[in-house]
Amino acid sequence: MNVDLPGKFELVAELEGHDDRAWHIAWNPTRNLLASCSADKTVRLYNFSSSTNQSDGTTNGLTFTHNTTIPTGHTKTVRAVAWSPSGKTLATASFDANIGIWAQEEDNEEAEDSPSGEWECMSLLEGHETECKSIAYSSTGTLLASCSRDKTVWIWEVHPDSDFECMGVLMEHTQDVKCVAWHPTEEILASASYDDTIKLYLDDPSDDWFCATTLTGHGSTVWTLAWEPLQGGYLASGSDDGTIRIWRRLPVKGELRFDCVAVLEGHDRSVYSISWSPSPPSVVVEGEQQCELGLLASTGGDGIVLIWQITETTEADSGKTVIEHKIVARIDAAHGVFDVNSIAWCPRTGLQDVLATTGDDGHVKVWKIHV
Amino acid sequence: MESFNPNPTIFVTSKHRATHFAKPHSLWLDEEGSDNDLETEDESNDIEEIDQDEIFGTRSVLHATTVQTYSFKLATKDLIRSISDPEHRNMSLEQLAVVSAPQITFDRKVPERLTVEFTPTVPHCGMSTFIGLSIRVRLLRSLPQRYKVDIRVKPGSHQSEQALNKQLNDKERVAAALENPALLEVLEQCLSTTGHGNSEET
Repeated sequence: MNVDLPGKFELVAELEGHDDRAWHIAWNPTRNLLASCSADKTVRLYNFSSSTNQSDGTTNGLTFTHNTTIPTGHTKTVRAVAWSPSGKTLATASFDANIGIWAQEEDNEEAEDSPSGEWECMSLLEGHETECKSIAYSSTGTLLASCSRDKTVWIWEVHPDSDFECMGVLMEHTQDVKCVAWHPTEEILASASYDDTIKLYLDDPSDDWFCATTLTGHGSTVWTLAWEPLQGGYLASGSDDGTIRIWRRLPVKGELRFDCVAVLEGHDRSVYSISWSPSPPSVVVEGEQQCELGLLASTGGDGIVLIWQITETTEADSGKTVIEHKIVARIDAAHGVFDVNSIAWCPRTGLQDVLATTGDDGHVKVWKIHV
Repeated sequence: MESFNPNPTIFVTSKHRATHFAKPHSLWLDEEGSDNDLETEDESNDIEEIDQDEIFGTRSVLHATTVQTYSFKLATKDLIRSISDPEHRNMSLEQLAVVSAPQITFDRKVPERLTVEFTPTVPHCGMSTFIGLSIRVRLLRSLPQRYKVDIRVKPGSHQSEQALNKQLNDKERVAAALENPALLEVLEQCLSTTGHGNSEET
């Protein structure tokens, strides 16, 4: 692919330190803190600071410093990390089947931007029978979802003082569950599995959580999920079949329904991770309403990182909606010869063009995307 | 498996090898002639079973800056041929005809991607996952890290072919399996017959 793409990758930082494959990465939503986890059973936390250009408000440089390493005490690989929306709590999912809940010592909470307190395990959630693969907090932070090779998805209610109550064990998938992702505004949970399907769950107020719909179409394991972050009108999924699918939520009252509206082909090995950045406001062009749905970043076993621009066009006359996608930036061998396991856009104000990746080389790389 | 009465010499005859060498200009040979040194060394080791010299020979090939795919195919096979069968520990995968050089193929466009096919001895072989895993681990530890390996059972050779292929190529499942101490112990035993030819890039 020698097409000249408009977007460029700028490597901002390369953070070494894990002794083994780095599996996953998560940006703290409220402070300048980045967490990565690894087969070495640790979580590494990095602080970062940015200098702002006074004249135009753009970010000049980003400097990362190692904050601390949490040994975790997990007896096997730490597969995934997730921050609560408050940014105060970190959850870890491990191949030892447990979930760790981590917070900093209380007396240090005041120092917002220079945290120095020790990270302590506030709670250990046991329940899964085999490797826990993914965890996610709901948008309000009141629910935590986890999934495992034991084929189940668990929904936990978050109580004060790091107390968790299991609200439901969903046994819908027929295989290993790889990923869970909450809708950005509503209490809708999506899960992706080795059984090639995606399932969506809702809470029945008078009963339990239930599977509302199943999305089929991928030809192999579905590894990763990402909701369109502002409205949640779309869900993207990445698969072992090398494709990314985009599913549109249909406006059916009282029912949860999705249609596959795009299949993105650009990777030639498993897509392990995708991340969807928020979009700029809509524009109207010649009788059509064009709504930019932001940038979708994807990566996987081919070591390539792709940035896709996703656009929704609604024809004024017919009201027909079409999804368009194009690759605007690409970098090959993002982690040298290694697989790239995780990708995440930075959610911090002014840094929405910053991406982090982790790879089998154990490194964390931070990129600035110039589109 | 129990009724299987293997005669290792049958599977590792020079005739078998002769057929192999009779086609030096196979599709794997992209450039000029094959590496004679390697062939000689490889052939001599047929008689003597696996030993460390062979591994070292392999090593030098793997560290060569330009690896001819033909040589590399032989080298790859040498890495896995001497893995012990988990059920018949005194026999190697090559002796049981589970692995063979023609079953190692390279992506034509990306030579760093290879597919290793193996043939379970019986279609209901319960050890197939384990055999596939041992091949994967051996190659993970021995090949330079730029190589990406797909492992498959020979089409039609196993009743759970699809499930096996999927599991063996799921890196997360493989990683988790390797954190299982009991499984790892048996695995190390099966790999102990391959010598310590770990040529991880340093």
